[in-house]
Amino acid sequence: MSAAPLIEIKDLRICFHGDDGRITHAVDSVDLSVANGATLGLVGESGCGKSVTSLAIMGLLPKQSAEISGAIRFDGLDLLQTPDQTLRNLRGNRLAMIFQEPMTSLNPSFTIGDQIIETILRHRGGSRKSARERAIELLRRVHIPSPERRVDEYPHKLSGGMRQRVMIAMALACDPRLLIADEPTTALDVTLQAQILELMRELKAASGAAIILITHDLGVVAEVCDEVAVMYAGEIVERAPVDELFSAPQHPYTVGLLGSIPRLDHRAEQLATIEGMVPNMAQPPAGCRFAARCPFVLDACTTAPPPLIEVSPGHLSRCIRAPLERLVS
Amino acid sequence: MALLEVDGLVKHFVAERSLFGRALAHVKAVDGVSFSLEAGKTLALVGESGCGKSTVSRLVLRLIEPDSGTVRFDGRDLLALDPNALRAFRREAQIIFQDPYASLNPRMTAGQILTEPLALHDLVPPAQRRARVAELLRLVGLEPRLARRYPHEFSGGQRQRIAIARALAVEPKLIICDEPVSALDVSIRSQILNLLRELQDRLGLAYIFVSHDLAVVKHIADHVAVMNLGQIVETAEADALFASPRHPYSRALLSAIPLPQPKAKRTTVLLEGEIPSALNPPAGCRFHTRCPFVIERCRNEAPALLADGSGHATACHRTAELPSADAILPAAGGFSPALAKLVAAFSQKTEGAATAGVGIQGTAPTTT
Repeated sequence: MSAAPLIEIKDLRICFHGDDGRITHAVDSVDLSVANGATLGLVGESGCGKSVTSLAIMGLLPKQSAEISGAIRFDGLDLLQTPDQTLRNLRGNRLAMIFQEPMTSLNPSFTIGDQIIETILRHRGGSRKSARERAIELLRRVHIPSPERRVDEYPHKLSGGMRQRVMIAMALACDPRLLIADEPTTALDVTLQAQILELMRELKAASGAAIILITHDLGVVAEVCDEVAVMYAGEIVERAPVDELFSAPQHPYTVGLLGSIPRLDHRAEQLATIEGMVPNMAQPPAGCRFAARCPFVLDACTTAPPPLIEVSPGHLSRCIRAPLERLVS
Repeated sequence: MALLEVDGLVKHFVAERSLFGRALAHVKAVDGVSFSLEAGKTLALVGESGCGKSTVSRLVLRLIEPDSGTVRFDGRDLLALDPNALRAFRREAQIIFQDPYASLNPRMTAGQILTEPLALHDLVPPAQRRARVAELLRLVGLEPRLARRYPHEFSGGQRQRIAIARALAVEPKLIICDEPVSALDVSIRSQILNLLRELQDRLGLAYIFVSHDLAVVKHIADHVAVMNLGQIVETAEADALFASPRHPYSRALLSAIPLPQPKAKRTTVLLEGEIPSALNPPAGCRFHTRCPFVIERCRNEAPALLADGSGHATACHRTAELPSADAILPAAGGFSPALAKLVAAFSQKTEGAATAGVGIQGTAPTTT
């Protein structure tokens, strides 16, 4: 990893205050960094805090109910201390995001061209004519056929895969330095997913932007990411270069996840299961949050929260029993 | 004799009507689908959205009526059954849906949900129904005391277990599983898949497993039928199909699935273009607009589904000429030796915990 990461998150904590006075700890002491041109995968199951983390980076969490602490440094700024006006200038410009469901993130009453042009004019200025030309160029870059015609179409005329391409084109409109993609292919069929993943790889190579890819699909992570952070119950439990995560995971939760997915490249009579349930985040357990479901649990696991330790260079695990190889040899 | 024999099933939906009610356009959802299924086996119907796989599953149960074709279950012609006989047939074939949040009545407790089929078919005398409900809950790995709870008090995986228990209540021979794990998180998904397999072994159930996820299908199916735009393009024993897919569409589907194995060596067949609409499917072979191996003949002449000696059938004019498909999936080696050991240790320990108390996960409902 290069000396100065593009984005660096330090000790990010996010709590939500419910109407009934209950406080949910959605994200706890998250540290992350992404270098220019690198792709970080953020994986975990529903409710683990991966999307909330990305919304915090974009400054999109509701101010009334979300309590955020820590620091998010991007290009010399702390995004959490940045005034709204500056954030608005960053969003869609140097920070861009792609959401899971392209139909709900496009405005149905404007043509896709209008929506891309709006972004360009807001951040770059210039004439409407040149912005339109750039919009057509962007649609061509994401492989939309006959972009000169498509630019004047409304979102409902496009298929799901096309819409997701439009979202990507819009996100790329101002050459962002950081692109956050939140489950960008989950709503798509597999052959379309393959096209979009190919497109993301292509664009990454061409633009040098850093990408944070949020997904629950470990296959997608293996295909496009350089580094992976696994989240569980609001915490990062493991962080590793992609090869190492898949060949020698160092957190029991990661082991369980890898063992529980049916795979095309492996035959298993019985899939691994992770028994039990995610802890209630209104009252997170005192010790390790995975302890109640962990087959390798010790008494010490339940008394104090385990630190994130470096098992090998660049490979971090929040498990006091790591390195796990010791348990099986 | 096969448990289920489906022959030449056709279902066209009217997509648009004129002012006077005349049909102007049809969606050819299912267009000539035939297959058979042996008792105790699993047939997977796979394909992308809109390929007709869910429509086939509903036609098989006669939840919707086909335009033509026959469905024979245990030798009886389903389409000839009168309403009473049809109701009796529903005892033998059940369905589990994708979304356990939508398929369970929120105003009924788990116990009531499971009692209903018992009462409807008058299978168990009223006095013994509670005991039978308890037995059903245990069968799917839930504790009997959970019968008093309402669906919202259960997690997604537990709800899907209740949906499975409801299907099992009538002791069916066939269960149609329509994307039963697609809405579930990965760790829960493996529990449900393991449960479905265990129940099959124990009760001799046959499954029609409808899914878009080929990794799941590989894990659970004996036989696979790949569908594209209302037709089966390839059908074979699961092992044969995954070892060497023949139809260009099956190849593309398999190669499109990202493997959880960084830097895996494989050939990819990346399809260009969009999925054509079933409203107006292409002439000739319905896959020709996206097929990388297309020739002139494909545009004009629809290929027939032809089987070889082993029963591996493909609907493609160029089956014999296509390049080898061996490299689409790496033969094995998905698990590194270290990972294999860790997963084995992980499973061994959790299995010990699970047998100590089935349905241990039923102790606290999720709050999310």
